[in-house]
Amino acid sequence: MTLARILAATTAMVFAATAAHAESIRIGASLPITGGLSVSGEKHKRGYELCTKLINEAGGILGRQVDLIVSDNRSDPATAINQYERFINVDKVDAVYGTFSSRLTFPVAAILSKYNMVHAVPSGGALRIYEQGYRNLFYFQVSAAEYTGKDVTAVIHDLIPAGEGPKSAAIVSADDFFANAIAAGLLGEKVKDPATDKEIADLAPGYLANAGIKVVMQEKWPEEGFNDWLNLANSIKRSGAEMVVGLTASAEEAVQLTRALKTVGATPKLVYLSQGAQNEFIEGVGKDAADGVMIHTTWHKDVPFESTLAGKPFSNGDFVKAFTAAYGVEPDEDSAIPFAVCQGIEQAITGAGSTDNAKMAEWLHARTKDAPVQTVLGRFNWDERGLAQNKSHIMTQWQGGNLKFVYPKGEFEGVVPFSYPKAGF
Amino acid sequence: MAEILQILILGLALGGVIALMGSGLSLVFGVMRIVNLAHPSLIIAGAYITYWAFKLLGVDPIVMLPVASVIMAAIGVLLYRLMLERQTKSAKYSEMTVLLTFALAMVVEGALGGLFTNTQRIVSPDYATDAFFIGDLFIPKGQLYAGIVSLTIIVGLTLFLKYSRLGYAIRATTQNREAAELLGVNVNFISVLAFAIGIGLAGAAGSLVSFVFSFFPAKHGEWIAMLMSVVVLGGMGSILGTVVAALFLSVIAAFVGAWIGATWSTLTFFVALFLILLVRPQGLFGEKPEMA
Repeated sequence: MTLARILAATTAMVFAATAAHAESIRIGASLPITGGLSVSGEKHKRGYELCTKLINEAGGILGRQVDLIVSDNRSDPATAINQYERFINVDKVDAVYGTFSSRLTFPVAAILSKYNMVHAVPSGGALRIYEQGYRNLFYFQVSAAEYTGKDVTAVIHDLIPAGEGPKSAAIVSADDFFANAIAAGLLGEKVKDPATDKEIADLAPGYLANAGIKVVMQEKWPEEGFNDWLNLANSIKRSGAEMVVGLTASAEEAVQLTRALKTVGATPKLVYLSQGAQNEFIEGVGKDAADGVMIHTTWHKDVPFESTLAGKPFSNGDFVKAFTAAYGVEPDEDSAIPFAVCQGIEQAITGAGSTDNAKMAEWLHARTKDAPVQTVLGRFNWDERGLAQNKSHIMTQWQGGNLKFVYPKGEFEGVVPFSYPKAGF
Repeated sequence: MAEILQILILGLALGGVIALMGSGLSLVFGVMRIVNLAHPSLIIAGAYITYWAFKLLGVDPIVMLPVASVIMAAIGVLLYRLMLERQTKSAKYSEMTVLLTFALAMVVEGALGGLFTNTQRIVSPDYATDAFFIGDLFIPKGQLYAGIVSLTIIVGLTLFLKYSRLGYAIRATTQNREAAELLGVNVNFISVLAFAIGIGLAGAAGSLVSFVFSFFPAKHGEWIAMLMSVVVLGGMGSILGTVVAALFLSVIAAFVGAWIGATWSTLTFFVALFLILLVRPQGLFGEKPEMA
C-alpha cells in the first residue's frame, strides 16, 4: 500500500513537472560565447539572461515562465545555423533571439526565414541581410550599417564651425561584413547581393564626398589574426589625414588601433571608430588616448529611454541598475541591445496573445511611430525589410574618461558640447 | 630610405615577441616530439597572471615575467604527469599529442573563460604606448623592451642548452631518445624538465604579450597558425631557427603590409608555411637539430 502511494505520488509529480515544462515558453539563442566574437557574445548572453530573469520574476509572459536555451556557436556560421535548426526541430522552441554580428546573422537569416520564425536581430547591420526578401526580420538597432556615415558627417556639419572641419580622411577597416558596410556608405560604393551579384543600392557619391572630405588613404586588415597595428598606424600617420575613420569589427580591434595611433604619435583632428563604446576600450587605451574619440552607438546609459517589461514601465535607468546589481559592472550597448531584443519578443508574444510566430510577426509589422515596441534602446517600428524607422544614432565621445553623448542635440537631456579638435593621444 | 628603415624596425620589434612565443613550442617538439597545440592558450594563461598582478598590485609585466614563468612551468609539470606521460610508449605518440593538446587548448580556453570571462584584456604600463623618436623614425618602447627581454631569454636558454649538463642531456634526448637512455640519461626526467621549460617560456611570452597584444581566452586560435608557420619554417625543434624565422617573417609581413596592403600581411606566414613544406619540409635549420 505504501509502495503504491509512493508510486502514485511520484507519477503525479512527474506529470506536474512535465506539465509545468510544457507550459513554459522556450526561447533559443545561439551566441558566439567562444571564438573571435566571444567578447560581444558573452555580453549578449548577459543581456538575454537578465531580461529573461526579470520577466520570470514578474510572472512570465502570458502567465508562462520563460526557459532560455543559449548555445555557444564558437563564432562559426555553420555551427550557428545548426544550432538554430536544432532549436526549432529538436528543442521545439517557441521563439528565438538573434545572434551577434552580420557575419553570423546573414546565414542564420535564411534558416529562420525558412521556418517562418520571427528573427529579432540584435547585431547584424549589413544592408544585404535585409534585401533578401525575408519578411520575418526585425533589426533592433538604428539602421543598416551602410547609412551610419550619415550621422557621422552630420556631427561634422552641425557641431564643427564651418571651415574648421577635417578636409582629408584615412579609412581603415576590418575586412568584415559590418565594417565593409559602413565603409561602403562613407565611400559611396555599390552594395551587391553576394549570391546573385544584383545591385542592391548605389551609395554614390558617399557621405565623405558629400561632406567635402577627401579620402587620402584606404586600407583593410584581415578578419582574424592581424597583429601589425603599428605598421598600419604608421601608414595612417604618413598619409597626413586630418580624420581617422577606424571601422573595427570588435572593441578589441578598436583598442589595438587606438593604442597604435598613440604609439606612433599620430595627430589627427578627429577620430571616429565604429566600436569603442565598451568599458574595455577605456581600460585598454587609457583616458588621454580615448579623449575626443567619437563612436556611434544605439544606446547610452544616460539616455532617458522609457520602455516596458512584463507589462510594467521599465526605464533605461532601471536596466542599468538591474544589470549592475546582477553582474557588478555597468552594462554597455553589447548587453543593452540583446536586452531590447528580449523585450521586443516579450511584447510581440503578449501583443499576439500567443507564441504563433506568424501572429507575432504580424503584430511587430503593425507597429507604428505612435504605437511602437518600447525598449531600453527607445521606440521601434520597422519597414517591410525589417529596418528600424524614425531613428538616428547616438553619437558619443570619450571626454575625461567618460563616454558622453554629443549628438543629436535637443533630443535628450544630457547632451554635452562636442570636443574638437582632438588634442593628440 | 627612412620609410624602409621604419618598416624594418617595426618588423623586427614584432618578430622579437613572436620568437619567444614560438620558442617554447619548438623546444617541446624538439625534445619530446609533442606538437603542443595548447601552447598559445598557455601563453594566454601567462598573460592573465600578468594582467591581474598589474591590475591588483601594480606589478610591472616585465617584473612579473619570472613569476609567470615559474607558475606556468609548475602547471607544465602537472599537465605532463597527468596527460602526456602515459602516452610516451604509444607507437603514435606524436599523433596522440596533437589530439591531446588540441583538447587541452579547448579546456584551457573554457577554464580561462570561466575564471576571467571572455572580456578582452591588455596591460597598460606607460611604455606600452610610448616610443623613442629619432628624427623621422620611431622605435616603439613596448615592442623594443619585449623584443630585448625575449631575445635575452632565448640567448640564455641557448647557453643553458649548449653548456650545462642538463642542457647536454636535453640535446642528447632531442637527437636520439633511445641512445640518450642507453647512455644513462633519465629521459623521463628530461622530458618533464623540457616540457616545464617549454610551458615556462609560454608564461614568459604571456607576460610580454600582455602589453603588446590584447587577449581573451579564444585568442589562441588566431595565434597557433602563425606560431606553427614560424616553427616549421625555422625547423621544428630548432630554437635558433624559430628566432630567425620569426624575425624574417615579421619583417616580410611588415613590408607586405606597408607596400601591398594590411590584408595580405597575415598571409605572409601561411605562404611561407606552404612554400617551406613544398621545398624544404625540414625547415631552414631542420638538418641540424642540435640547439643553436
